[in-house]
Amino acid sequence: MDKIKIQTVCGFGCGSSLFLRMKIEEVLKENNIKADVFCGDVGTCLSQPCDAIFISKDLYSRIEGRAKVTVVPIENFMDKNEVATKTMDFFNGINKE
Amino acid sequence: MRVSYKTIGNYMFKKENILTKVKVGNWTEAIRVAGGLLESSGSITSKYTDAMISAVKEMGPYMVILPHFALAHAAPSKEVLKDDFALITLEEPVLFGVPNDPVYIILALCAKDGKSHMDSLAKIAKVLMEENTIQEIIDAKTPQEILDITEKHLL
Repeated sequence: MDKIKIQTVCGFGCGSSLFLRMKIEEVLKENNIKADVFCGDVGTCLSQPCDAIFISKDLYSRIEGRAKVTVVPIENFMDKNEVATKTMDFFNGINKE
Repeated sequence: MRVSYKTIGNYMFKKENILTKVKVGNWTEAIRVAGGLLESSGSITSKYTDAMISAVKEMGPYMVILPHFALAHAAPSKEVLKDDFALITLEEPVLFGVPNDPVYIILALCAKDGKSHMDSLAKIAKVLMEENTIQEIIDAKTPQEILDITEKHLL
């Protein structure tokens, strides 16, 4: 299987999404999961190839129902518990398929 | 010798770009003050400051990314003259209407493109995510103290 690609999305793809990317990378490292995490912006995220989009809850409605991949809304980018739970739920979901 | 600036990746974190215990009435004023520092440094035009405020209104206040901490920025554009950032702390906090309220620290960021500043911002993010850093910054009384905190955590 190819490496899973996760896109973290904020308004412009160059600020908050970086914080979220780092948080997810932390979780992946702790769980010994290899995946690519990269930043994107809400305007272009749907056209970037990836396996999942992690996006702030504020921006979720802008892409809801239009994405071909799993979209995970995140309330608080820096809440380790939330990010860890949602990241692991996503990976556990893939493994079941 | 005490430093008057700290290099973080391709950014120069200058004492002139820091203000502590600023008095403002609300979050828009706070972003205006932080944006004003970037304008004085010749890093942005005033249109970029306006864009940072519109961004919070249009995209939602998720930019209050850590407890007490807001990352103000707008899209890279021609209103950005050079990559830079400014930091202010507030005497009395402001509210954005989010769980991470009240906000005491505003970090305003401007970048000419979407990529060049990422390594530097990652370094800053790492420092901010360390326990206690936010409280240390809130408690700092002078810009020099903020630089010293940055220096200590980046070493």
